[in-house]
Amino acid sequence: MDSIYSQYAWLIPLFPLVAFLIITAFGRSLRATSIMVALTGSLIALMLSILVLFEQMGSGEEFSERFTWMTIGNVQLSMGIEVTHLTSLMLVVVTLVSFLVNLYSMGYMKDDERISVFYGYIALFTFSMLGLVLSENLLTMYVFWELVGVCSFLLVGFWYTKPEARAAAKKAFIVTRIGDVGLLIAILLLFWYMPDHALDFASIKNVFDGQTGTIAEGITTLIAILIFVGAVGKSGQFPLHVWLPDAMEGPTPISALIHAATMVAAGVFLVARTYDIFEASQAAMNTVAYVGAFTAIFAATIGIAQNDIKRILAYSTVSQLGYMMMALGLGSLTGGIFHLFTHAFFKALLFLGAGSIIHAVHTQNIQEMGGLGSKMKITAWTFGIGALALSGIPPFSGFWSKDAILSTALDHNPLLFVVGLVAAFFTALYMARLFFLVFTGESRSKAHAHESPAVMTVPLIVLAVLAVLAGFVELPWSGLGFLGGWLLPGEEVVHHGSELVMVISTAVGALGIYLGWLIYVKGTISRDVVSSRVPGLVKLLERKYYMDELYHAVIVVPLRGIGQALQAVDDYIIDGVVRLTGAAAVWTGRAGIRMQNGQVQTYGLITAIGLIVLIVVIVGRRFW
Amino acid sequence: MLADLPVLSLITFSPLLGILVLLFLPKQRSRLLKVTAIAATLLPLILTFWLYANYHPEVGGAEFKELSTWVEVPVNKETLAPGVTSYMLEFQYHMGVDGLSLPLVLLTALVSLMAALASVHIKKRWKSFYIWFLLLEVGMLGVFLARDLMLFFVFFELTLIATFFLIGIWGYFNREKAANKFLIYNGLGSALMLMAFVMLIATAGLTYVQTDNTASLIYSGNYENLLSNLTNPEALVNVLPEMLGGNNPFYLTDGVKWAVFILLLIAFGIKLPIFPFHTWMLKVHTEAPPAIVMIHSGVLLKMGAYGLLRFGIFLFPEQAREWAVVLAVLGVINIIYGALLAMVQKEFKLVLAYSSISHMGIVLLGIASFNEIGLQGAVFQLVSHGLISALLFLIVGSLYERTGTTEIPELGGLARSMPFMSGILLVAGMASLGLPGLSGFIGEFLSLLGLFDTMKWLTVIATIGVILTAVYVLRAVLAITYGAMPERFITFKDARLIEAVPMIALLAFIVLLGVYPSVLTDTLQHSFDVLINQLNARVGG
Repeated sequence: MDSIYSQYAWLIPLFPLVAFLIITAFGRSLRATSIMVALTGSLIALMLSILVLFEQMGSGEEFSERFTWMTIGNVQLSMGIEVTHLTSLMLVVVTLVSFLVNLYSMGYMKDDERISVFYGYIALFTFSMLGLVLSENLLTMYVFWELVGVCSFLLVGFWYTKPEARAAAKKAFIVTRIGDVGLLIAILLLFWYMPDHALDFASIKNVFDGQTGTIAEGITTLIAILIFVGAVGKSGQFPLHVWLPDAMEGPTPISALIHAATMVAAGVFLVARTYDIFEASQAAMNTVAYVGAFTAIFAATIGIAQNDIKRILAYSTVSQLGYMMMALGLGSLTGGIFHLFTHAFFKALLFLGAGSIIHAVHTQNIQEMGGLGSKMKITAWTFGIGALALSGIPPFSGFWSKDAILSTALDHNPLLFVVGLVAAFFTALYMARLFFLVFTGESRSKAHAHESPAVMTVPLIVLAVLAVLAGFVELPWSGLGFLGGWLLPGEEVVHHGSELVMVISTAVGALGIYLGWLIYVKGTISRDVVSSRVPGLVKLLERKYYMDELYHAVIVVPLRGIGQALQAVDDYIIDGVVRLTGAAAVWTGRAGIRMQNGQVQTYGLITAIGLIVLIVVIVGRRFW
Repeated sequence: MLADLPVLSLITFSPLLGILVLLFLPKQRSRLLKVTAIAATLLPLILTFWLYANYHPEVGGAEFKELSTWVEVPVNKETLAPGVTSYMLEFQYHMGVDGLSLPLVLLTALVSLMAALASVHIKKRWKSFYIWFLLLEVGMLGVFLARDLMLFFVFFELTLIATFFLIGIWGYFNREKAANKFLIYNGLGSALMLMAFVMLIATAGLTYVQTDNTASLIYSGNYENLLSNLTNPEALVNVLPEMLGGNNPFYLTDGVKWAVFILLLIAFGIKLPIFPFHTWMLKVHTEAPPAIVMIHSGVLLKMGAYGLLRFGIFLFPEQAREWAVVLAVLGVINIIYGALLAMVQKEFKLVLAYSSISHMGIVLLGIASFNEIGLQGAVFQLVSHGLISALLFLIVGSLYERTGTTEIPELGGLARSMPFMSGILLVAGMASLGLPGLSGFIGEFLSLLGLFDTMKWLTVIATIGVILTAVYVLRAVLAITYGAMPERFITFKDARLIEAVPMIALLAFIVLLGVYPSVLTDTLQHSFDVLINQLNARVGG
């Protein structure tokens, strides 16, 4: 079957773009209209994406197209789009979550006076993210990569009058930019090392796939690691994760869309897209695996000690992205993408649920909530499904994708398998803590909580359904896995169907939840059992291992110091020399002025002195 | 119709028409004076658009050339070589356009119009302001179109004088000091430039003209002639020493070439500005009226880079290439030094001044790459930075009108009372920090891409600038527009139409270049093809 819809895939990002342009041009005065425009744009994009996905799931051919962006000398830089199986899957994830968030925001942002600006930004983000997903080459991807970053910046700082929002927006932009520079250098390297300066993914695949030796191994490793640096920045991996929790200053629907489901997964997507480079270098693969694994456990431990509902979820996102990276680093492209896919739904669900809660109780501190389960039934049920999916309890989607990763880990690297298990345990624990503190027990909130309106609960229900079902696209038993074979056509797919791993991971998840129940519901174990014995540890976790403080002391302060020192150099030395030169000229001039002050006496004196000198010289020479 | 006329001269001198009208207008009719001046800046813009539309990149604009003798001086007849009847020194009126100058002419015409619109904030002596303003435009256009060294020099000096008065009379509190520093520092640069030009004319500026019964040797600053003399080993100047039996003191040795190249590097380096010759421009940025800073930062600085390319690089590619590392190091210093200083400024105008230093460093990087990608990146960066800094100072002007200050600590939260202007400021800042989709990215990316081929480590160091730029731009822009707003700003009105139009126009060009860079790179292509081919032919690619 030929591709019918895939060749029109370029239209998909165009609808949100048009929506953005319309809203920016006319939106400020027309609130309702801009919402409708944004909603329509994202709906059309969603429907087209679904058509493309179905076509690709059938026998539709992959499709790519490009045009020359610039011709310089004999080199051409191109922009292009490409529809592959992976791309079409991402298209649906992005447009679906985007549409649901659009819908949800109608309720959540209802009273905000800048709601049309908000919708404009979301449309711009959706456009950029779709562009990123569809990119046919690295340059195109870099362009959209930066654009999604700027949208994230704009939306984090949406409530711009709050100093925290301003600081968070700035931090998000700058920290991710550090990663972006890595990606940029990787592109420069690829450009000069690839045959014909090609940057498109197809050529990259060809060059690195068989490891034909066109590009030396050292360079390959370097390129892969630099690309990964970009991914580390965007996907909040250690040590560039610090921006993501702060980014929670943005409106909650944004956290769901950008900082959980789509943009932060772009790093994972990038690695997947350039996977052949990584596969050509074991060193790079190890880097990815270990950084991912470390991030997974590192962030999960922080998540236990936080009290802000959104920050807990943010650290959970960091941790889960680490999981995905670990999967990629261990050689399981399917595992990484599978987890990206399921995570997008259950994490978006959790964030939107959190938004629903915040909407009701006007606080983000879980210590000030409690007992909301009876007042917000839909929110509680859907949130519970999301939490179970995240904790890896069967049959929810997170279980299947986590299982795929853990089985790969067991096969390749037992150490990372253990790390993954421990992280899974902490994940279950902090989710249990969060869930029980918020929904069970006595109410500690002053607000009269009530269920959110339908525009907010419907997206929750849709996402909850997906959080249950999304895992079934890839079951660990032979013959039941669809995703792996589809993502990697032509490659042999190994199914690790290890019942042992399933049992262990379920047990670990259940243990975490049980422990949480014991502490936060039953009270069998005191809440400060740890903090009373090792207060330093709790403090360390609460302060997030002092990473922010470290960066402040090691980077921010010295940089500012250098700036101020250079300011002194500029003012006193460089400009000082300039002023001195000028002054010297003036002094010379002054001396000259004194010689010609118009007084005959002076002239007479000078003449006399000159005469005497002359006589002395002439006479003196005679007697010499 | 236009094709038969001397278009380049028309473009250059069309603002004079405005001056002529202004002279007959009463000096207190500010509105009338403003409208006239704005209309006068429209003329060269329209003509330049026509030029752009009729310019064929493959040919390189040769059909627009204008050449005639301006002044002819006979020189020392006593030492005639055998067979030569006269020696002449000739100043020519020679105008030409190619891929390098066309974008800059367009930039000049565009920024001038926008600056004329921004001059609505000028409060006194409108008539003389606009006369100087239009003279300045003539000078700038002339600089980019002149193809004779002396003619170039005259236009170049015209811009100095006009700018001097514009700063000294209409500037802020310390305007006279700033104007003096500007004039003296730049005058010094001009002196070095003149020295270089004279040396060049006296050595490489020779042509042999033979008619039926006369044979003259003519010294001139004809650019094409210089170019062919310097690049063609068979050219007269290169074989003449033997012909004259070693008598010619003006022999074009390698030493002379190096001396001229270094003189040019310093002369135009001051203008660019290259560290450590940058301190003069700080005062200009803070003291000159914003409309003039738009021109200063948008166009005048570009004259430095243009001069360096046109005379330093194109005429002495071998010397320049040998010094490529020096240029690249200077570029990196500019980038990092400018960015670090921009990070600690309290005055927004100084942030922008240091940011200009940083961004001009990128131009040096592109030049130092000596491949087409980098060189095109350098010119792209010139045009892009011209547009972006013009836009930024346009906003500064409008901001100052309302707040009475541009000190960052005194500002804040302006997005609330002025959402439109704050939005434009944010986008301009994004363009400045090289966001893809806006013009700044292309220049930066191409320059880095070009340099990476030859100097990997320097390029990597330069990319630190990419991060630092984000830091200082966001620091300044967010401090001004985000956060809580002081009470006294609550009544401020957003941009008026006359302010909004130039902002949107500049932004439109910034977006156009960012989204579809071919409009510019295709124009540049030919000129750099020629240069690179020449270079490769002589020193080997």
